[in-house]
Amino acid sequence: MRVELIWEANELVSAVVLSSILASLITTLADLNDRLLLGINGLAGRSWLFDSTVAFFRDNDLAKAGVIGCCFLAAWYGGKTTNGTTTRRKILIVGLIAAVCVIATTKVLSHTIFLPRPEIQSRKIYRLEGDQLVEMKRMPVRVPLDETSQKEYRALVNGDVETNDLGSFPSDHAGFFIAISLGIWLASRRLGLIALGWTILVILMGKMIGAQHTPLDIAAGAGVAIAEVTIIQYALRKRFSSWLDKLAGLTLSYSALSSALVFAVAFEVSSTMIHVRAFLGLLAAMRRHVLLGMS
Amino acid sequence: MKRSTSMRLISTWIIACALVFLTSCKVQKEGLVVMTDESYKAVLFANNNKIKFGSPDGIVWHKGKLYFADEGGVALESWTKQDGLKTLIDSRFGTESPEDLVIDSQDNIFFTDDDAGGLWEFTANGTPRLVAGKDKGLISTEGIALAPDGSLLVGDGEQHEVFRVTRDGQVSEFLGKEYGITKPESMVFDDRGNLYIADNEDDVLYLLDGEKKLHRLVDRKDSFSPETIFYAKGSLYITDSHNNKLYVYTPNEELKTIAAFGGQLKNVQGVTLDDQGNIYLSIQTDLKRKVGAIIEISKENSEIAKK
Repeated sequence: MRVELIWEANELVSAVVLSSILASLITTLADLNDRLLLGINGLAGRSWLFDSTVAFFRDNDLAKAGVIGCCFLAAWYGGKTTNGTTTRRKILIVGLIAAVCVIATTKVLSHTIFLPRPEIQSRKIYRLEGDQLVEMKRMPVRVPLDETSQKEYRALVNGDVETNDLGSFPSDHAGFFIAISLGIWLASRRLGLIALGWTILVILMGKMIGAQHTPLDIAAGAGVAIAEVTIIQYALRKRFSSWLDKLAGLTLSYSALSSALVFAVAFEVSSTMIHVRAFLGLLAAMRRHVLLGMS
Repeated sequence: MKRSTSMRLISTWIIACALVFLTSCKVQKEGLVVMTDESYKAVLFANNNKIKFGSPDGIVWHKGKLYFADEGGVALESWTKQDGLKTLIDSRFGTESPEDLVIDSQDNIFFTDDDAGGLWEFTANGTPRLVAGKDKGLISTEGIALAPDGSLLVGDGEQHEVFRVTRDGQVSEFLGKEYGITKPESMVFDDRGNLYIADNEDDVLYLLDGEKKLHRLVDRKDSFSPETIFYAKGSLYITDSHNNKLYVYTPNEELKTIAAFGGQLKNVQGVTLDDQGNIYLSIQTDLKRKVGAIIEISKENSEIAKK
């Protein structure tokens, strides 16, 4: 009995010590995060050509995500044997399911945790802390010289703040593209490395150079992606292996139809599912309109 | 033995993570105010810890007192620093959801109620009364404005009309359905006798001129939805609960954003100004749980602003 009590007391003390260590670690990480962001963002605002190139790969869906879509298609069709193709397709199907879960998680988190984009943090912001509003430390980020960034900055100065810009943690771009790229990597190492490399060096680096996300946002998005891809790959392949076998088999039996569907999927991946989201928005509006009778 | 040690190690980690999660819950309850006009500063004037209100909607400063149409608390209340919060009318009198209020120069308070309907009054001598109820056609009352002739204009969100109500409770149509105003959520007269009307269903700010001609002043459905409007010193202050913003509109000038709100503070509702020109906003954080706040937005000290 006494030994048990001592154990419990020890556990509690260790937990408190650990949590305080973790808390100080968080402060150090936050500091490192700011420095890293300012270092990376320091590349912006110096050359119009450089900034425009970065903005092109950041904003253009084909340039941004087309490569990932191509890698996905190449992995889908790239098996050397029927068994190899089936295995790849099973992994890719699970990867897509995981990516949808990841984007749902990052969206929920970003609506719960309010960390504005670094470009917004360059403005005067007050944060609610207990019973008072406390002015936040300003982030002296550089504004890229490309046309879109300049236009957005002018809009920000004029008070045009998008609600989406107030919750940038974690990065849903990081979560979604890393989840897809990890799925491709599990199916084909070479194609996966290309997809992961493109995601990190082009898509996510562009987000940090443009001060749209901090390294912490990106790391958190990537963390969510890695965790969910691992869990979902393990769980689905363990529990629903026979279903996946059937589904992968069907993609071979009905190759024309499955090719059409995979094209649609790759297209949506390349456009960060913007059309699917618009379709879901339409369904929600129809539900409100038809079922609830709202105009 | 080895197994139990590892189990204890795991449980220690779980407790540590839970503690970190609990401390990070502070982050989840955050609220943000982004000052897009940097000449202003923001202060949390009141929340449920400081003043025991519910969740106010309409607010008005009048002769050094702050009055609340407390939708969450189902009451009409007044507050001063000396006397604290006083309930003037509560649900026992029949109100259900006090919405917006105006006070005349004799200190009579009039307010609307979008659930109970009707126009309600708390007279200067402290008597509550229903001026005109649902039986007179005021079904879901929203915006309210004190007309120069002493009558009251009341907007009805269900009938899509604006009614004129005299002090003795006679109701007549002021703006019929043909004007096309869907939900007259808030109304206010300027110093020239023009009536501003905020329609937060069609997301339009209207101006009704002296000749009763209706003009669409601001109509940007994708980015603007006026909730409450308040006219002071030549400018119209507008809250937007859909886009979570506070604007100022000055005739012949562009609509200007003063602040944007996020998190717990995003649902901006009422707006009023005190005699010094400080802006007060009511925030309905959680209407069902009666959680609300009042934010004061005032000009920075001019020297600091220059810096």
